[in-house]
Amino acid sequence: MDSEGATPDNAARTEGNALTPRAPALLEIDGISKRYGNTVAVDELSFEVRAGEMFGFVGRNGAGKTTTMRIVLGVIGADRGEVRWCGRRLDLKARRRIGYMPEERGLYPKMRIAEQLRYVGELHGMAGSDAAAAALQWLERFDLAERRNAELQSLSLGNQQRIQLAAALVFSPEVLVLDEPFSGLDPVAVDVLIWVLREQAEAGVAVIFSSHELELVERICDRVGIIDRGRLVAMGSVEDLRRGGPERLWVDAPAASEDWLRKVPGATVLQEHGSRRLVELAPGGNDQAVLQAALRTGPVREFRPAERSLGELFRGYIEEDQR
Amino acid sequence: MNVPAPRETSPHPLPAVILVARREIVVRLRSRTFAAFTLVMAVLVVVGIVAASALNGPAAPAQAPTVRVGFAGGSQALEQSFESTAVLVGVEVSVSNVGDEAAGRAQLTAGSLDMLVTGSATTPAAAATDAVPAMAIIALDAAAQTARLNAAGLPPSTVTSVMAGVPVENVRLPAPSSPFEFTTNVFAALGVCITLFVTLAAYGQFVSQGVVEEKATRMMEILLASIRPSELLAGKVLGIGFVAMVQIAIVTAAALITVALTNGVSIPALGVGYVLAYVVWFVLGYLMYAMAFAAVAVLVSRPEEVAGATAPVAVAVAVPYLLMFVGLSDPTNPLIVVLSIVPPFSPILMTLRIAYGVAPLWQVLVAMALTIAAIVGTTWVAGRTYANSAMRFGARVRFLDALKVQERVR
Repeated sequence: MDSEGATPDNAARTEGNALTPRAPALLEIDGISKRYGNTVAVDELSFEVRAGEMFGFVGRNGAGKTTTMRIVLGVIGADRGEVRWCGRRLDLKARRRIGYMPEERGLYPKMRIAEQLRYVGELHGMAGSDAAAAALQWLERFDLAERRNAELQSLSLGNQQRIQLAAALVFSPEVLVLDEPFSGLDPVAVDVLIWVLREQAEAGVAVIFSSHELELVERICDRVGIIDRGRLVAMGSVEDLRRGGPERLWVDAPAASEDWLRKVPGATVLQEHGSRRLVELAPGGNDQAVLQAALRTGPVREFRPAERSLGELFRGYIEEDQR
Repeated sequence: MNVPAPRETSPHPLPAVILVARREIVVRLRSRTFAAFTLVMAVLVVVGIVAASALNGPAAPAQAPTVRVGFAGGSQALEQSFESTAVLVGVEVSVSNVGDEAAGRAQLTAGSLDMLVTGSATTPAAAATDAVPAMAIIALDAAAQTARLNAAGLPPSTVTSVMAGVPVENVRLPAPSSPFEFTTNVFAALGVCITLFVTLAAYGQFVSQGVVEEKATRMMEILLASIRPSELLAGKVLGIGFVAMVQIAIVTAAALITVALTNGVSIPALGVGYVLAYVVWFVLGYLMYAMAFAAVAVLVSRPEEVAGATAPVAVAVAVPYLLMFVGLSDPTNPLIVVLSIVPPFSPILMTLRIAYGVAPLWQVLVAMALTIAAIVGTTWVAGRTYANSAMRFGARVRFLDALKVQERVR
């Protein structure tokens, strides 16, 4: 596997090549570190998110995603590094423009939902009447306007999650930070959430979210950051991340013998599914040489580049990091 | 979809402390807990007052009804002398002329007169109902005797000197040495102190439960993403304190109305001064204890851990309450006197001494100053533990760690 693709330096370079800035960076996370006793939660982590961008944050449990998000929101302090907003150090006032959805959902179970959303809006700087109007708009949007005086705990779990999302959106934030927003959602709720997030990004909101649903992250994110043991091991669009790794091909040559690839340098068979084989090429390998070798064995029914999923990329980077 | 357009970052229309306090007030005043607690308190206080006035027996002298006395015929000459003597012996009378004995009797039977005096000034006769106190009869006797002495030809000055009362000096026993009986005064002091203890303990617990609720539901994360820990702490303590004041106002109103309705004149301890002492010491005690409750409650993350974490503070409320029973039988006990000046004992013990009227002003002022200093101290500690452990979920944070490590937040 390509060792270069795994380093943060390389990831940063990959990103620089691939993404032409559409907007100035809104949020810059610059070299933040956080320790808990002897445990390093976040280690020299840097990335930036632009307006209108959907940024996916992936990593195993305990990799440092939640700590990073809490530092961005200022609910915990970093030991080192800083978070900037349009070039200026992020202060409390600017933080009020960030919508936040914590991993373990947080709202008052016994408070009426409309009042609760209004309260969150006011805490983020809205005038009372504006906050009340915005709260009602979001309730209408989620078909909960008729239950505006219901306590949160009386709603179904799905509706509670909608209120949680509304609490992050009610004050029209310019940045959205969502910690595992998709966990525990039913498929319909997932679609609603994707729709809302896309709409927010289109309106110019910078969206950062973490998720274990790699297929989903791959589908909706403009860029992805892979975090492992507190460090960013890769960052860029899924395309960029693929480009960084070795090339893979699907080849279906039913008449091929065991050693048909022996003469092609840098090519190895990774998997066999019946007569279909997944071939990996070392950097600089020649895919046409693979095709010619296959044709020499007889008929070739399939020959195409194998796109690695984000899941495969993710596992690759994590393994790389552990070496 | 009609989503509000993004706006410029604006200053808070309302300070965060007020927003937090207002939420506490709105949500709590509407809660069933508040309604039930207020009702129970009001009922207990009303029942206590009714029981106290029953214990004290029926109407005391100060509000005894006016004795209506009618004079017929020659006895009318006694009216002035009777009236002034009655005032001397402490009986309120109103005198009137009646046409004749028959008319007077009719008024007596009809209940518009309490006593009828007939005959001449020197040989009067009287008819009286049960309502007429003995002192009124004595006043009438004295008036008749004066009239007879005058009729015997003695000069008025001699009569006056003959009839002069014996001067009686009112000897006041020094209060400290007198043993306290179980009077209504004790009853009132006990009631005020128990009420103070119950409200202090209850509202302190409300604060600690509210703090942990925010940690347990992770609302803390959303709150601290937009406001400072100190703003959250201050808003919560002030908001719940306001709710307490509303409840106290309701219960006090119920108490004063009951006093008025039961003619409970005999409970001077429930006067305005006592209510004021209670309110002042509740406010001071509440701020001191609430900050202490918040300081330790924020160390834990689960509701079931609250009781354990706040036990030391609960003890600091309960010990003065238990000592109050010592002070109840002997409010001049040196231990009680000293502790009533020192926080955390001062709120309950000083209220007891004030209720007994045995607390010199300077001691009250020193106790207040020390309690205010203690409030500053508990507020500082709570601010520190809040900043350090509000975002530490899971295992209970050690108190000393929460004090020591000042995490750099914002």
